[in-house]
Amino acid sequence: MLSAFDANWSLMTPEIVLAVLAMIIFTIDFMTGIHGKKPFLGRLSIIALLVTAVLVIFVNPQGGTIGHIFILDPFSMIFKVILLVAVAIVIAISMYYVEKNEDIYQGEYYSIMLFATLGAMLMVSSADLITLFIGLEIVSISSYVLAGFKKHRKKSTEAAIKYVILGGAASAFILYGMSFLYGLTGTTSLYEIGAAIPGVYEQYPFMIMLSLLFMVVGFGFKISVAPFHMWAPDVYEGSPTSVTSFLTVVSKLAAFALVMRVLFIGFGGIIEEWAFIIAVIAALTMILGNLIALAQKNVKRLMAYSGIAQAGYLLVPIAAAFNINVSASTIAFYGVAYVLMVLGAFAVITFVTEESGNEDIASFSGLYKRSPYLALAMGVFLVSLAGLPATAGFIGKFYIFVGAVSGDMLWLAIIMIAMSIVSFYYYFGIIRQMFMREPKTSLDGQPAGTLKAPAGISTVVGVSLAGTIILGFFPGILINFFNSFNWMFMFF
Amino acid sequence: MLQNAWLIPVFPLIAFIILLLFGRFLKDKSSYVGIAALALSFIFSLLVLMERIGGETYGFTVNWLTTGDRTISAGYEVTALNVMMLFVVAAVSLLVHIFSREYMHEDNRIHVFYSYLALFSFSMLGLVLSPNLLQLFIFWELVGLSSFLLVGFWYFKPEAAAAAKKAFLVTRIGDVGLLIGLILLFNATGSLEYSAVFSAIEAGAATNTMLTVIAVLIFLGAVGKSAQFPLHVWLPDAMEGPTPVSALIHAATMVAAGVYLVGVMYPVFLASSTAMLIVAWVGAITAFIAATIALVNTDIKRILAYSTISQLGFMMLALGTGGYVAGLFHLMTHAFFKALLFLGAGSVIFALHHRQDIRNMGGLWNRMKITSVTFLIGTLAIAGAPPLAGFWSKEVILAAVLEGGGIVLFLIAAVTAFMTAFYMFRLFFRVFTGEFKGEHEPVENKKFMTVPLVALAVFAVVAGFVNTPFAAGLEGFLTEGLNVGEQAHGTIWLAGLSVLLAAGGFGLAWAMYYKGTVAQDFFTSKAPGVHKLLLNKYYLDEIYQAAFARPTVAAGKFLAEVDRRVIDGIVLVAARSVERSGQVIRKQHNGQLQTYGLVTIIGGLAVIALAFVLRGYFG
Repeated sequence: MLSAFDANWSLMTPEIVLAVLAMIIFTIDFMTGIHGKKPFLGRLSIIALLVTAVLVIFVNPQGGTIGHIFILDPFSMIFKVILLVAVAIVIAISMYYVEKNEDIYQGEYYSIMLFATLGAMLMVSSADLITLFIGLEIVSISSYVLAGFKKHRKKSTEAAIKYVILGGAASAFILYGMSFLYGLTGTTSLYEIGAAIPGVYEQYPFMIMLSLLFMVVGFGFKISVAPFHMWAPDVYEGSPTSVTSFLTVVSKLAAFALVMRVLFIGFGGIIEEWAFIIAVIAALTMILGNLIALAQKNVKRLMAYSGIAQAGYLLVPIAAAFNINVSASTIAFYGVAYVLMVLGAFAVITFVTEESGNEDIASFSGLYKRSPYLALAMGVFLVSLAGLPATAGFIGKFYIFVGAVSGDMLWLAIIMIAMSIVSFYYYFGIIRQMFMREPKTSLDGQPAGTLKAPAGISTVVGVSLAGTIILGFFPGILINFFNSFNWMFMFF
Repeated sequence: MLQNAWLIPVFPLIAFIILLLFGRFLKDKSSYVGIAALALSFIFSLLVLMERIGGETYGFTVNWLTTGDRTISAGYEVTALNVMMLFVVAAVSLLVHIFSREYMHEDNRIHVFYSYLALFSFSMLGLVLSPNLLQLFIFWELVGLSSFLLVGFWYFKPEAAAAAKKAFLVTRIGDVGLLIGLILLFNATGSLEYSAVFSAIEAGAATNTMLTVIAVLIFLGAVGKSAQFPLHVWLPDAMEGPTPVSALIHAATMVAAGVYLVGVMYPVFLASSTAMLIVAWVGAITAFIAATIALVNTDIKRILAYSTISQLGFMMLALGTGGYVAGLFHLMTHAFFKALLFLGAGSVIFALHHRQDIRNMGGLWNRMKITSVTFLIGTLAIAGAPPLAGFWSKEVILAAVLEGGGIVLFLIAAVTAFMTAFYMFRLFFRVFTGEFKGEHEPVENKKFMTVPLVALAVFAVVAGFVNTPFAAGLEGFLTEGLNVGEQAHGTIWLAGLSVLLAAGGFGLAWAMYYKGTVAQDFFTSKAPGVHKLLLNKYYLDEIYQAAFARPTVAAGKFLAEVDRRVIDGIVLVAARSVERSGQVIRKQHNGQLQTYGLVTIIGGLAVIALAFVLRGYFG
């Protein structure tokens, strides 16, 4: 019998350190009064996240496990690093945002975001249904709170309420599905479930499918894929912009990691039973996300639908999972590209919408004249999201295509490529605003002047831009690294 | 020298970076940066060409990325086909750079213009040097992007901005085909390098059906880029860009990239007779349709645009009927005389202060001597007058079509050749002869504009001599070491027919637009319906708008509305039921269960329905 004292707790060092640092930030917040600007807390949070990322890389690089509750394999390590860096970028964007919006209590904001990160880290490194669910709920509940952070603004509150109600329903779906699984296999460990599933499926195919589908509905909500995506645009639009970037990137990627873990390990034995369902969802998501994005005028709603479409692209390697390692490295590469291009874009969006006090796409008009650097960078991010060559987004998509074709899902690859043309239309809508329109004139008839981005935003944009372009030309740096792993421990 | 070929695209890249960083300060001196870079590229490509003639193919690659156990390399190669292309691209690009200095000198964004032009030259030269399809695809998209930027250069004109977007999106449709074809090819042969792909195919790596699918998909990319029917609609609109851009991108180089792609992938096409047939017919239809539209159009640049489409169709037709050398030979000669015609048109437009309607032109012959003479040379060359460049290349095309395509395709080609001569001379007579109809007396342009015209006119005269029936130098050069089948050759009677067609077209245009012996509405009055159809370009724009663009946007709007309503609806129901349950809470303790029950039941039913429909799990 394994006792709690026998466990190798050092595996959790990064989590423990992050929790302690988050607590410290929480406490400092108490000690410095509820109001006022606290940029030092933002800086401290970024340092905490980066320190944690370094710990993930250097402490226990060989990995290990604590039962099936906590798994430290290459999969969890890589996703943790991606998520930690992403949150650090989000906080850099947030520091500008909270500076502009004084009604946000800064200390709480940062510590809640760090706790959410802790939940996300748990989500990517567990193979036990209960622990996974707890991680998921930590992220979800923190996200509900963050979405409603501008509590004096109706839209933000509305977003939070919508998010809570629908998110709660989704969690119920997941739990319901999990309970079936527990009832049929008598265990919550994904590895044991995975070992038992082919046999159980023989006996109770319908029950297993029902359990799987319930979970797919719930997970589908969390990663905002069609037809469970409808909450996302409302919530993304209403939330503070920096929180929107958190939801688009961090919540989504962590949930993707969880979906992969559950499907590949728990349901890996009956892959041919669910691959097609996932493929249909992916196709539907790409089609709906891209088509609806065409009709959007609000840039945050547009990014919401763009994010939905991107989630569809990310589902393709799961559906075409002829080889877990290939799927995992494809998703991880696209994940890195996604973090860079989406957060880079969000840095520009946050800055431009806050400066103009307007979230319309037209707020980007003439950005090239007002700030050539931001406009060029935003152009690269959008082009990368659309999947044009010489950017990380293209290589990521190319890998997904190749994987889909190798996995005999040509039709899915075709839908993906065809839908990417539609996406050009709306991404280029923004590009045209930036490069092919004159800056808007303000009320007194003066054209909007030049924009000077603060250091935080410039840094985020610069790092993302460099990453997007470097990975576009030298994808080998990351791909060869990713290809060298056996991503998930397998104990069957 | 061959191992230094990679420098050829690097010069314009450096120019691009310099102009991006310092263009603002250089202003109109930017043009010298661009010209110098292209001059170096031109010299290098000339040296490379001379060394490659009689030399060996040279290649250099490094591993770029790995997928699974396959690797994709990056690098460059120097083959017979691509040195020819390098030379053409560098030469035309250099001349256009020189021409633009004067043409654009009044524009205060001239540095931006030159930076885009440099970006384009870099991408186009890089495309040509690519040793594999993925690298080609990357440059393929980059030329598309720079074309987008250049067409939309005068974005404050709404037509220009719309044209830029249209050009980009329509060619994207073709690119989707190319990308899918490329991945299928990779999947089938395990490589994207041309030589490896061809040997894998020879070894039978792919079934016949698969090869046909791949070839057709790759061809779709060429259809988009080379403005072939039914994706040709973007090219006439792209004429909203500055005229030098039209000459470089939309006449000589980028639009020929589709033809080049088919040429590069020729063994794949040869392996599938169905694909060859499709290429031939698409080319024939394009050549014919575009020529008919050019008959009635009245915008000097659009006539040339339709003429370009038509000539590109000719090249495809040649390639599709086995005329590998014929198609690529015509690509080369066409690049020179069409660039000449476009720059000539630019010279005219510039002198007339940006008027483009040929009905308001005339009598320029005595006023702009150099432009007139060079334009006449271009017109004669495209019409196929011996011994100019177009005559030789058109003759081998006709020979190839007759031998490999049969009589129907040959007739289409012959009729198109006749129409070509007619609409080109109609343009010539309208613009250069007759009465001058303007207020400002036009004068010949400065040297920066006339020198490129003269240089291109020289090419338009002599470029054909590299491949004549007496000395088929190009044929030997291009086909050496390649298995592209037996090439057809012209005969005396074909040459006679070709001259006759050109003379016929010329004669009719002369009678109608110079002499006036045949009334100008002689044909249009007899068939007003056809005339209207042609004036409206077969209503293709309207049809596409109604069939594809509008439904897509409408679907997007409709679905967006659904999304909004559903979520608000669910939340509203939730809110109401909470409210109501508050009122009845003392009687029944059903709390929020109602809400969740509702959501769960709806969702659960959906899930069960999904499972049932997809797999029939109840059975």
